[in-house]
Amino acid sequence: MTDRSRHVAFVCPRFAEGPTVGGAETLLKNLARRIALSGRKVTFLTTCARNHFTWENELPAGSRTIDDIDVHFFPVDPERNVTEFLNIQSLISANCRVSVADELIWLQNSVNSGSLCDYLKENGNTYDRIVMGPYLFGLIYFASQIYPEKTLLVPCLHDESFAYLKSIGNMFNNVRGCMFNSVPEKELASRLYVMEKSSVSSVVGMGMDDFATTPGIFKSAHDIRSQYLIYSGRREPLKGTPLLIDYLNAFRSRTNRDVKLVLTGTGHAEIPEELTNSIIDLGFLSEKDKHAAMADAVAFCHPSVNESFGIVLMESFLAGTPVLVHSKSAVLKYHCKQSNAGFWFNSYPEFEEELQLLLNNQKLRNAMGNAGRQYVLKEHSWHHIDEKLFVALEK
Amino acid sequence: MNRPMFEIGANGIDVGNVVAEIQATVAEKMKNGMYVDARIARAERTNIANLKNDEDFLAFYLECLRDAVAVDINDFVIHEKRALFSKLLVALKKVIWKLLKFYTYRLWSQQNQTNTLLLSAVESLEERYREKIRNLEERIARLESKDACK
Repeated sequence: MTDRSRHVAFVCPRFAEGPTVGGAETLLKNLARRIALSGRKVTFLTTCARNHFTWENELPAGSRTIDDIDVHFFPVDPERNVTEFLNIQSLISANCRVSVADELIWLQNSVNSGSLCDYLKENGNTYDRIVMGPYLFGLIYFASQIYPEKTLLVPCLHDESFAYLKSIGNMFNNVRGCMFNSVPEKELASRLYVMEKSSVSSVVGMGMDDFATTPGIFKSAHDIRSQYLIYSGRREPLKGTPLLIDYLNAFRSRTNRDVKLVLTGTGHAEIPEELTNSIIDLGFLSEKDKHAAMADAVAFCHPSVNESFGIVLMESFLAGTPVLVHSKSAVLKYHCKQSNAGFWFNSYPEFEEELQLLLNNQKLRNAMGNAGRQYVLKEHSWHHIDEKLFVALEK
Repeated sequence: MNRPMFEIGANGIDVGNVVAEIQATVAEKMKNGMYVDARIARAERTNIANLKNDEDFLAFYLECLRDAVAVDINDFVIHEKRALFSKLLVALKKVIWKLLKFYTYRLWSQQNQTNTLLLSAVESLEERYREKIRNLEERIARLESKDACK
């Protein structure tokens, strides 16, 4: 360890504690813990919000030690003009051109915490590195301007209209560097941004803790007698859950095969009447139960096209289950190719043929599942990720 | 459809090759009209946003849509899930259906006409722009080859 990274601060809009946080928050918390375990001092700056729709200040402001990390909670600014924010956001989402001034109004009315930024201004000189993300929040945009020479972005970047904004491009250009989750994410950033000033950019990702599962336990516990697909995570259009439900409906109807879908996670899923007995919605499960559910599935289906890492994909690989992903997700497709443990589909016919193949061939499923497990153990063990993380911090 | 298409051993998998093989088979089956199916058109409704730049997908989707465009307005078998009074409930539903038929028939037949006209319009637009783009691409290629000869 050199003097370059003795004290590392993290900035993230939410702190991963409890069941409803997303992948980016989990990633940043895990990176912070690994850095703390290495003997470096870690300070985590976040907001009092838990809900990513309302951004209400639910947690008390102040400092607490959570999982060996010194966490400082700051209130989200109350004076947001949500109407203005949503108006500009809908224009950006529709790929309409908006001026830089409007981009700034959008960022100012996004999730911000003036008190967090003030704290960072006052105390930033004591930090050697400031790691922050994900990119799509006013808080990160403004916090990255305070000590840009010390700032490492963990952007969790997707190929979406927001990534093409000039202000976002400037943020990538001005910070010290980025820590990407995967090679395709880094390639996307290189395609979109100049990143002249940011001299450091590395692919780090997240390590995965190995777990063991006993085949058959989940199926017998839930009295499931047919083969099933599984999806874990938030259920929302951006994650592709409506697409998966529609595909399952067409598959069952066209092939007359009794394939079920197990859903774990949070959020509302619109289930058509004809599928009420074929979709088993278990809501939020413990990690152990989720992994057991993954282990008994024919495949894990991840239809989202906007992923920068895919934690649940890695968990499925560790459970020895092959995956089916949408081909428009460069990151998930990359993991499938690298591991030889998943297929990708562009449209329903490809999905149908691939699912038929997996349903009919257990040998293939086992071989793919084993390949996926080996891939995660080799490429995403914490030992391997730690090495990359500490090198990125020292750069 | 239930027949396994590929037999792959456990060793030496290359998912890239398998997916390429599946894509080739799907392309062949598409040519033979095996996926022209209203159920696929419905299943693909949320995939359109993902594949908006994919020309082949639009052509395929429009083909499926042709099968889905007309809503079935004919008589159908009326069932009742509840065991109690099921005969009575079926009879009641049949009477309601007969009473409403004159109204729904007119409404849905007009809707079907509109759907068909709209689909034809989208198809002709798609064909027209595809032709235009092809001509422009050929023209660019010709001009570039002329430039290269200079």
